Amino acid sequence: MPTDPKTRPLGDLERLVMEQLWAAERALTVREVHARLSGTRELAYTTVMTVLDRLAKKRLTERERDGKAWRYQAAAPREGMAADLMRDALDRAGDRREALVRFVDQVSDEEAALLREALSRLETPDR
Amino acid sequence: MITPVLLAALALVLSGPAPALLGRSGWPYRVPRAAVTLWQALALAAVLAALGAGTALSYSAAGQPQAPRFDPSAPGDLAAAGVLALTALVGIRLLWAAGRVAVGTRARRKRHRDLVDVLATPDGLVPGLRVLAEQTPLAYCLPALRGSRVVVSVGALERLDDGELRAVLAHEQAHLRARHDLVLEAFTMLHTAFPRWVRSEVALEQARTLVELLADDEARRRGGPRPLARALLALAGSPAPEAGLAAATSATVLRIQRLADPEPRYPWLSAATYASAAALLVLPTVTVAAPILKAVAEAVS
Repeated sequence: MPTDPKTRPLGDLERLVMEQLWAAERALTVREVHARLSGTRELAYTTVMTVLDRLAKKRLTERERDGKAWRYQAAAPREGMAADLMRDALDRAGDRREALVRFVDQVSDEEAALLREALSRLETPDR
Repeated sequence: MITPVLLAALALVLSGPAPALLGRSGWPYRVPRAAVTLWQALALAAVLAALGAGTALSYSAAGQPQAPRFDPSAPGDLAAAGVLALTALVGIRLLWAAGRVAVGTRARRKRHRDLVDVLATPDGLVPGLRVLAEQTPLAYCLPALRGSRVVVSVGALERLDDGELRAVLAHEQAHLRARHDLVLEAFTMLHTAFPRWVRSEVALEQARTLVELLADDEARRRGGPRPLARALLALAGSPAPEAGLAAATSATVLRIQRLADPEPRYPWLSAATYASAAALLVLPTVTVAAPILKAVAEAVS
């Protein structure tokens, strides 16, 4: 599976930046996000700016002008986004269904019994 | 007049009785790879035959080659124009549906991946793996040309031992490598192109099952059938927390039962299936091309 070596570290940063925004009670400037992240790792100010900009383009953050600077906040609380994600992951309807390919769908109790029966035959060594 | 009739009959058979028959048969599950090819050939041949029938009909309804001019007062020419327009409409509808499905699928996938990337933590076990802090047992993949993802929830991890997890990951990676999503997308496009009262779920449904079998075979080759079968039960058989999710999917039973047998090898059935697929594609092509070839041969002699 190809993963782009250039975007991977940035992708990781996106998550860390979102965590800062979720944890904050108010909208943060780039400088504030940079300060909060610098405690744990060496990071360029411009990198944080780029990441916040990318997050805004993905509509994961919202920003507003505050004097000369932008203030960023998460577009929704973490729980809200997680709920959106789960709803989408479990959605089996519509013509965009093949967007994600699930390992297995959950089955009814009767069918689970059939599955267990089939598995026990498979586990019996003399077959 | 014989070509359009032949092609129309072929289109009808290929879009109605043939898929229904194939969908009810059990043998395609024995040769999943060949069966996917056969379904693709069937769908393509049906489209070719339908479009070919329309074109050939308008051609034969129009005036003779001696009078090639379009004459709006001649009923034959009008009918020909009507049939041609209808054929074009069907073609456009197909393209439109294909575009809509392609754009919609990619938009949903991109939004989902953006959310996964900020909500789930990366795991180095396989490239692109993300672990989601959710109790619902869930494992799926997000296919992409670049930057595909395999997503596993914490709830799923808790239900799987190492071997079972590896089986799940091997299964998902097989989907990603072979781009099974593109196979399913093509059938979805075809499915959405037709109005509700003529289309049937059968091609799409069986294609879904067949690609699962292909991915299962790959995972079985890596780690044997047992971890995979146990993983299937662990993730499918746990009580479903979401209402409406517990719809019966007999495909899962088929998958486990199939793992109980040694890996299937049916070289003759497979070869016959591939041969039928090839024949299906040749049939409408030759029917369309034959009169043209004949005309060319007459012109030369």
